[in-house]
Parts: sequence; C-alpha cells; structure tokens
Amino acid sequence: MREKTYVEDINRSIYDIRNDEKDAYRVKEGLTAEIVEQISHEKKDPAWMELFRLHSLQIYQEMKLPDWGPPIDELNMDEIVTYVRPNTRMSAKWSDVPKEIKDTFELLGIPQAERKSLAGVGAQFDSELVYHNVRQEVAAQGVVYTDMESALKGDYADMVRKHFMKLVTPRDHKFAALHGAVWSGGSFVYVPSGVSVTIPLQSYFRFNAPGAGQFEHTLIIVDEDANLHFIEGCSAPKYNIANLHAGCVELYVRKNAKLRYSTIENWSKNMYNLNTKRAKVEKGGTIEWVSGSFGSHVSYLYPMSILNGEGAKAEFTSITFAGKGQNLDTGTKIVHNAPKTSSYVNTKSISKDGGISTFRSSILVTNQARQSKSAVSCQSLMLDDRSRSDTIPAMDIRTQDADIGHEAKIGRISDEAVFYLMSRGITEEDARAMIVSGFADNVSKELPLEYAVEMNHLIRLEMKGSIG
Amino acid sequence: MKQKLNMKVNPLPVRTWNWLGMNETTLEQAVMTEGDIKIDIPETIVQVEDFDNDFDSVSTGMGSDMNKLIYLSNIETQVFQTLKEKKEKKALKLHFYYENKAQDLNIIGLDLKENSEMIVIMDYTSSKKGQGTIGIQTKIRAEKNAKLCLVQIQCLGDGFCCMNDIGAICQEGAEIQVIDLILGGKSTYVGCKTKLEGDRSILKAEIGYLIDHQNCLDMNYVALHEGKNTVSEIHASGVLRDQAFKLFRGTIDFQRGCAGAQGEESEDVLLLDDTVINQTIPLILCAEEDVQGNHGATIGKLDEELLFYLESRGICQKEIYEMMAKARIDTICRKIPDEEAQIQVKNYMEGRSSDE
Repeated sequence: MREKTYVEDINRSIYDIRNDEKDAYRVKEGLTAEIVEQISHEKKDPAWMELFRLHSLQIYQEMKLPDWGPPIDELNMDEIVTYVRPNTRMSAKWSDVPKEIKDTFELLGIPQAERKSLAGVGAQFDSELVYHNVRQEVAAQGVVYTDMESALKGDYADMVRKHFMKLVTPRDHKFAALHGAVWSGGSFVYVPSGVSVTIPLQSYFRFNAPGAGQFEHTLIIVDEDANLHFIEGCSAPKYNIANLHAGCVELYVRKNAKLRYSTIENWSKNMYNLNTKRAKVEKGGTIEWVSGSFGSHVSYLYPMSILNGEGAKAEFTSITFAGKGQNLDTGTKIVHNAPKTSSYVNTKSISKDGGISTFRSSILVTNQARQSKSAVSCQSLMLDDRSRSDTIPAMDIRTQDADIGHEAKIGRISDEAVFYLMSRGITEEDARAMIVSGFADNVSKELPLEYAVEMNHLIRLEMKGSIG
Repeated sequence: MKQKLNMKVNPLPVRTWNWLGMNETTLEQAVMTEGDIKIDIPETIVQVEDFDNDFDSVSTGMGSDMNKLIYLSNIETQVFQTLKEKKEKKALKLHFYYENKAQDLNIIGLDLKENSEMIVIMDYTSSKKGQGTIGIQTKIRAEKNAKLCLVQIQCLGDGFCCMNDIGAICQEGAEIQVIDLILGGKSTYVGCKTKLEGDRSILKAEIGYLIDHQNCLDMNYVALHEGKNTVSEIHASGVLRDQAFKLFRGTIDFQRGCAGAQGEESEDVLLLDDTVINQTIPLILCAEEDVQGNHGATIGKLDEELLFYLESRGICQKEIYEMMAKARIDTICRKIPDEEAQIQVKNYMEGRSSDE
C-alpha cells in the first residue's frame, strides 16, 4: 500500500504568541451608530470623517452578505469588538514601545528587518499603530510615510480627503462599508514625482485581542515617474472565537510610476479575512502584486487593478496554501480600460488535509482597450482527496483588437516526475519535496529576500512516504 | 392569458460575483404547446409509447426552471430506444420546423441499451422573417458501453428565441458525443449537463457558433465526473460580430472518488467588431486528488503571423476574417456523421453569406 505524501502544516509557534490584554480603551461588542461615534470621537476625527463613518454604517446595514464564496454565517458582528487601542502611544523609537509588544515584534523579526533592509516601518498592534518611522534620507527625498490618523489631520489632509475610499467606496460591498464605518490605523504613503525609493517600506499588522476586528486603511500615492516597493505583513495568535480583519488598501499609480505591493498574510485560523485592495494605474504606470496567503479560517481576497491609462501594466503573482479548517477564496480582478494595456496573472494554490482553496478572477477588457493583452495562468495542486480546489475565472472582452489567453491546470504530484528524479538517484521523499518546493518557487522568487525567507519558514514542506 | 414563468436558466454550478452577470440568466416565458416533429427513424430504433424508464433523475444544463416550464406546459416525452447490442449506423433524424409566432416545446428521451450505438441528428429551422420561441429538452440515459452521437443544428430565423436543454447520465464505459452548431436565432440558450456516473464513461462536446447583429448566445456546459477514469472534453469555437453577445459557461466538476478522471475544456473565439460582448467562464471544481483538469481560452483577433502569411498571398484582411470564421464552422461540420446534415449546414452558411 502506498503511503500518502505528508506535507506538514505551517509552523505557527512564533505567530501564536499571545500578549496579555492590556488595552487602554475598547468599545463594546457589536456595531451601532453610538459605537461608530465613539470610535470617531476617540480618534478625534475631522467632522467630515465622522459623517463618512455614519454614512458607511448606514450602507453596511442596507447591504446583504455575499451569496457566493465561502460561508461566513458564523461571523457574528454582535460579538466583534471593532476598536481596541493598545496601552501606548505611537512612537518613532522602539525603546518607547512597551516591552511586551516590542518583544512580539522582535520575534516576528520586524526591527531587525528595519535595520537591515527597509526604508521605513509601521507596526500596528490591534487598532492603532505603536511604531512608525522612516529613514532620514528617504524623508529628505520628500517621501511621506506616516500613520493614517496623522495624515488625516496634517499637511496632507486635503490629499487624504480627496482619495480616501474613492477607489474602494463603501458601496463596493458590505465589508467595504463596514471598513468605512470603523476603520482605524494603517499607513499613508506619498512618493513625489521622479523619486525612486530603492529599498522597501513595510507595514506590519499584528492582532492580539480575541474576538476583535482590525480595520486598517492603507493609502499610497506614487506620483509621476516615481517608484516604490511596499510590503505588508500580518499575523495573529489563534483563539477559539472568531476574529475579523476587514482592511482596505487604495493605491494610486500615476503616469509612468511603478509600485510593487507585496503581502504575506498569515492570520490565525480563527480569522475571517475579508480584505479589499485596489489600484488605479495611469498612462505607462505599473502595478505589481505579490501575494502569499497562508493563514485565516476564511479569506475573501481579490486585489483589483484598474488600468486606466495607455500602456498601463499589471502583474499579479500569488500563492495560496489551504490546510485543515481553512477555506481560502483568493484571486484577482483586472480592468483594461485604455489602449495597449497589459496584464499577467500567475497563481498557484496547494490544498491539503481538508483545506479548500478557490481561485477566483475576472478580466474585463472594455472597448477603450484596443491592442491590450492579458495572460492568466493558474495551477492547483491537490495533496489528498479530503481537500478541495476550485478555479473560477471569468473573462469579459468587449473589443476585437485584444489578445486574451487563459490557462488553468489542476492535478497532483506526477508519478512520472517522481520516477524521473528517482532514476537520477534521488529518494522518493526528496523527489516529492523537490516537486512541491518547485511548485511554490515561482512565487517565492518574486518576494523580497526577507519575505522569501519568511515564506520558507511558513511552509515546512516536510515530505515522507514511499511506495510500498 | 397564458401563465408566465420568471425563469433563471443556465445556473453556474458555483456562484461568483453578481456584478459579472454570469451566475445565471433570467427569462420570462409563457407556458408553451407541444410542437410537431418530422421523424426519420432507422429500423432498429424504437419509438416507445409507454415508457417506464424514469428520466426525472436526469438533471439538465438549463436547470430546474426548465422542468417547471415543461410541467406547466404539460408536455409528454417522446422516447427513442436502441436495442441491446445493436449498433445502428443510420441516423435518427428529428426535424423541427417552426412557423411565425410559434411557442413550441418538445421533450425527447434517448434510451440507449447496453452495448448499443445511436446517431441522432436534430435540426431546428424556421420561417426566415417570423418570430417565436421554441424549446427542446433532450434527456439521455446511456447504459453500459452504449455510444451516442447527438448532433443539434440550429438554423432559426433572426426573430426566434431558442431554448435547447440537454441532460445525460452515462453508465460504465458509455460515451456521448455532442455536436452543437448554433448558426441562427435572435437569442439562444443552451444547457448541457452530463453525469459521468460509471467508470470509464466519456463526454465529448464540440460547440460551434456564429453570432451576429444584436443576437445573443448563452451557454452552460457541465461535465460531472463521478466514476473512475472518466473523461470529458468540451471544446467551443466561434465568431462574434456586430453587436453580438455571447456567454460561455463551461464546468468540469471532479467529484470525490473519480480517481483517474481527466477533463479538458477550451474556447477559441474570434471577435470581428468592437461592439461585441464576449463573456467566458470556464470552471474546474475539484474534490479528488488523482485527476487531471485543464482549461484554456484564446480570445480576440487572429494570430499576427497567420494574418501576415495570408496577406502576403494577396488576401485582404476582411476576406481573411471571413474565411477563418467559415473555417471554424466547417471544422465542426465535418465531424457530423451524416452527409445530408453537412450539406444542410453548408447551404445555410452560403445563404447567410449571400444575405450579407
């Protein structure tokens, strides 16, 4: 009898560290106008933002839950605490961050990464940032990297107001409306025209409070001919009750600018990750999404690229690893709305131990998008027959002068490939491990080195088995 | 006044974003009356009056609302049965002709006994200028090692709406080949769902279409793999021009336990105008480890090298596109195992060209 290939679960020991709950302030569970007002007052919002929050709440109450995708009926908003402020103020020095919180970020490797290879770091703990700093030389170039709350009130207040939830509006879907009502934390980045930020900026979102929600907002504007790599990381310890993450990312890529947005999502397996990300790319601009989805109980995640200027480009590279108890629905949406735009989508997914992985996408080519090109490739690997892997790609093409290609493959580890490697003197265990590692390698090589290391740390593809 | 039904047809087996408008299609349809069929039946095929085989268990591609329409319209199933072990090479021909204002619905049952073979050719034609709505539901049960080639040729006038619904169950080693040619009609809805229940059963579907003016084509093909080593192939190829709309849903569904199954689907669409709308959603659903599933789609214009080659031979772009459009239909037409039907398609295509 043949023993099944065994792929070990992600080692979560570091991510499962729980800090004592020493928050300074939290709202009651549930979602009411009073709670939204409380959050707004607590955060000292400008008047327009308070009205925006209340309007979003109204939309949230009107909208229905999606009738597609993984089930989210068990997510009870009456049990979710939407705002938890940690017992510290934001600082630009790690030494000012309370030791327990600092130790957690140390274990996650954030300060070390900052010293070695980052241009700036934002670290959020529950609903608020506890650390935010940007290198002097980067700030001197005119790059703005700050927390959203400061941006909302400071020199860039008008710019924030002009762009905030204009790309992802509260009417987008129910959880975008929820985000509009209770958002807190996140980062604002502005890269001026012609500035190239050669080393990445990073925001890390850490969730500690059980039964709470995190709703950070990231707004990035990369001006004409500028260049930025932004990295986002997220993790949380596992609790027995549901946690909710409904963040929002809005990216504006101006003429001939380039933005790479990398994410390693490693939420705990009690997390509902209902995140919304969208980029609008102008003439000659480029957006590159690199995404690894490993955590969460349920994920709805489809970064969207709107190619709105001639020659704009989008690349989307992702890997999803769905293990026991996980239902990860991921993919991308691309709109070609200008001539000579191009998109390239390359996704991989692995399902094991009853995990469900779904790739969902849409490619829309309007009749403005003559001479546009799109290529989509998705590959899924099933590691046992208790798991599930679905592919749901949609294409809507409205011009004759477009070149659209799509391919998808689903299967298991090929016996022929294992045999070939074994005939070269490699053991079956090693051969299977090599094949699975190679499957994920396409994506990991697109990640910055530190994140590729983290990804390798996340996926311990320990293989054993033999044909007996 | 006739009772009207708000129908949701061609449901996607797994829903996706509603804003795409691909999850299902909404239709309003009044109850219909049973239409006439001109039948040309080979000797070894039997038309059964009192049929005890239960076709109710066969679900179809257009979905349960089609059954509601049939129930309300009170239409009887006309069943054609093969004899056990009998391999009939002559086609059973069912000719459907529709007059102006037709509201006709027919249900056909095809019951293939063990080790038998049958060819069925169904053609739908109408008065050129008239209008109407027609429906045909075809339910198939193929017993062990039975083989069916089902050809459906839709050459309706521009005023007709067509609902063409197919459902099939294949037992061990059974094979169904479906050839669908959609060449006319104002709006056409095609659903085809095949349950590959028995081990080693096979579905091969070839779809060819030519949609122009403001006409629309809405399709839903589903291959449900239940048995081990089952095989499905769904290939669609077509041309859109003017303000035509087309939606192709194609699903390969690997159920748990269908070890060794293979599924492949592809679509190749040639778009001739900037005013067309072409929607495609090819699904692979997989709950089994030991399977191979592939899908691919090529949408848009002709390959540049091919275009250059033909232009260098003195053919203008317009002619090249016309030629390639015709070639797509010809390729599928050649697979029809009946010369008379092939000629019918060619004549219809020539008639279309001379009209333009």
